[in-house]
Amino acid sequence: MRAYTPKDDVQKKSYYTDRFWVAPQVAKSEVSDDAVFAADLEAIKAKFDVLDAYIQVEQMVVVINANDNYAVLELLKNDREYTQLSEMSAIDWLAQEGKFEIFYQILSMAKRKRIRIKCKIDEKEAIQSVEKLFRSADWSEREMYDMFGVVVNNHPFMKRILMPEDWEGFPLRKTYPLQGDEFAAWYEVDRIFGKEAREIIGPENRDPARIDRYDTKRFSRLGHEVPFGADISQGEPDTPLVYQEQEGVFMIDKFDAEKSVVISDRHR
Amino acid sequence: MAQHQVNYLKDGGLPVALTTIDKVVNWGRSNSIWALTYGLACCGIEMMASGASRYDFDRFGTIFRASPRQAELMVVAGTLTKKHAEFIRRLYDQMTEPKWVISMGSCANTGGMFNTYATVQGVDRVIPVDLYLPGCAPRPETLQYAVMMLQQKIRKEPASRAQKPKRLM
Amino acid sequence: MQQSNRLRPFFENITFDRVDNEMILNFGPQHPSAHGQLRLMLHMQQEQITKAHPDIGYLHRGMEKMAENMIYNEFMPTTDRMDYIASSSNNYGFALAVEKLIGLDVPRRAKVIRMLLLEVNRLMSHLFWLATTALDIGAMTVFLYAFREREYLMDLVEDYCGARLTHAAIRIGGVPLDLPDNFMADLRKFLDKLPENIKDYEDLLDKNRVWLMRMENVGVISKEMALSWGCSGVMLRASGVEWDIRKEEPYELYDEVEFNVPVSDKGDNYARYKLYMAEMRESAKILYQVADMYEGTSTELMAHAPQYISAPKLDIMTQNYALMQHFVLVTQGMRPPVGEVYIPTESPKGELGYYINSQGGPYPYRLKLRAPSFWHTGILTDLLPGHYIPDVVSIIGTTNIVFGEVDR
Repeated sequence: MRAYTPKDDVQKKSYYTDRFWVAPQVAKSEVSDDAVFAADLEAIKAKFDVLDAYIQVEQMVVVINANDNYAVLELLKNDREYTQLSEMSAIDWLAQEGKFEIFYQILSMAKRKRIRIKCKIDEKEAIQSVEKLFRSADWSEREMYDMFGVVVNNHPFMKRILMPEDWEGFPLRKTYPLQGDEFAAWYEVDRIFGKEAREIIGPENRDPARIDRYDTKRFSRLGHEVPFGADISQGEPDTPLVYQEQEGVFMIDKFDAEKSVVISDRHR
Repeated sequence: MAQHQVNYLKDGGLPVALTTIDKVVNWGRSNSIWALTYGLACCGIEMMASGASRYDFDRFGTIFRASPRQAELMVVAGTLTKKHAEFIRRLYDQMTEPKWVISMGSCANTGGMFNTYATVQGVDRVIPVDLYLPGCAPRPETLQYAVMMLQQKIRKEPASRAQKPKRLM
Repeated sequence: MQQSNRLRPFFENITFDRVDNEMILNFGPQHPSAHGQLRLMLHMQQEQITKAHPDIGYLHRGMEKMAENMIYNEFMPTTDRMDYIASSSNNYGFALAVEKLIGLDVPRRAKVIRMLLLEVNRLMSHLFWLATTALDIGAMTVFLYAFREREYLMDLVEDYCGARLTHAAIRIGGVPLDLPDNFMADLRKFLDKLPENIKDYEDLLDKNRVWLMRMENVGVISKEMALSWGCSGVMLRASGVEWDIRKEEPYELYDEVEFNVPVSDKGDNYARYKLYMAEMRESAKILYQVADMYEGTSTELMAHAPQYISAPKLDIMTQNYALMQHFVLVTQGMRPPVGEVYIPTESPKGELGYYINSQGGPYPYRLKLRAPSFWHTGILTDLLPGHYIPDVVSIIGTTNIVFGEVDR
């Protein structure tokens, strides 16, 4: 029987999990443990709703409402010295709860602290751009749009960045298979030769271990060279490996190992 | 009267060498393979290394050229992505005949470890390839060996024959 | 024989009936000095650039998607192909992130070997940077010299792990192998010669008129711009921000070694060049210190955590339980705890961060690679306007971008 794979999440799953296995958690600690983070959190709490806040692996994680994202980052940048946006992207939770999670990883060089601001948006919802605060968000948001299809409002140039502009689908969504869909499989053929060439070129070989023993079109066979496309199902001739033809090459001297110098110490 | 007998052919004194046109042309072609600088990814670094001081590609007459119109060998060194595929074909079309292609490294051969949506599974889907080089990334010695193999291949071909279309279209 | 296909020449580059005298120049994606597959659309007024539009993604191989479909150890060789000039730095960043997620402590000898590999990789990367940038600007001699030294370093790494370029020399929880016998001697021999070599490069370049004209006051990045664009590494330090993750948030043994963080406030190409040279000297200093640390450490190389890390090979071959554990870890993969982690490290290019979101399964739920070059390419949008065409090459050179990690 073929294994069932859910359509909304094609990520690889472990094939066996112990029934009684409970995944451990990475330790979370209270924000009040760290004075610097506690002060930052107070500043956010004074103006905005904070859904959750904790410290995990030495960094504070703050969960906020999605429409506060610009204001919270503005507050942190201007008043709390979090001057750099190291990273931002999305996580696909569409299969579980129909939402994208957006995270902003920010850094304060003065305090040597890092905070992760997180918020969740619906699939069709757009998020406010923070490009006005951090220029680096310009490309990050484009990448997020390219990979997840999360639309960003007020972005100066909301186009795909990594994939070609005429690409279909959003590769990092969990519904998108690792090896691409029909469109991806024929993209380069359609683009260069046209759809009518699909039959001539044939489908992609996605099996990394596939080797056709008698294929003389795709593999050169060192030591057993035959003409292109020859039939070798009855066996192939031996052609000894030489780096130069036996009778020598016109006007070229053969390499003489006797006359060469062998360098024993390469650091000399 | 002293007899002077000079065997020009044997003593190499006569400034004439007898050979066939094929051999002369192929000798020239095979010992001045100018390659296009086409480093796409990691293998491109090894391609540079084989052109640099220790491995010294110049002794093969292989000089890297930046323009496809001056090059006759395309070493596809690295991963070819779907976004780039169009450009490799464009560059290949711009190269003048006769031209050869070495597909360097697993990515260019078959897509290699990048069995994903964005990678062309083998550069031979787009342009015809003469030599496939295994390795990830192949060492500079491997590339040099491939060029020697290519030289051998060139010497075997008749020089003046109208070029037959290679595989693919 | 030219075969027919559907590709037609680009005509959008030349608009014949323009009256504003603006030309659009297409640079790349195949350009010898684009350091990979950078494509730039440059709007020009005569020789001066008015608008730059970098187009990336020509080496996008879907690494983040691959990570989601691979067990953690399986992803390690893929990280090699990110910043392929200094592969071990990428290996290390990933290993460290997973170790932090699990909460592992690595044996001291493994730490020393990792430090050696990291700094050797930094030297390799900086030498490569010098070689290619000098080549772009026309200094062929420096290219040949720098590659010569780089080959020695590659020999060292090859002695250790067997690979020249893509090392995969670091494992989650330690390192797979001990150093070979003559490694330290070879390393010291190389390091003793390195200052001379660096001086050779500087003699050739420092006061060279052509080099100065192409470098000085070209590509000036102000402090605000560098911070706003998320620059890191040399790009940031050349603009007057003293920030080196090795110093500020020390990982591994960086808090035990003594080194300086060279900073400049000029922000131009020449400042970056000088910083790279200074960093090479600092790396050599670190390597001397780390080499001394090696003696006297216990021979343990991998952390002991049977739930996540396979036992040493000897145990696997002799003890039944270790073999079973190894079998499970290889076929199913380790299952780190539920949680998320963002770990930055200072790679030769800048801040290399790994964000891992684990849901307790053997495959990461989301893995985001924060590669420094991505933003160093982005900054070209704001940096290039106002410069002239020849400056483009030298600016791209000094930003030290590698397309494996820009596009991932």
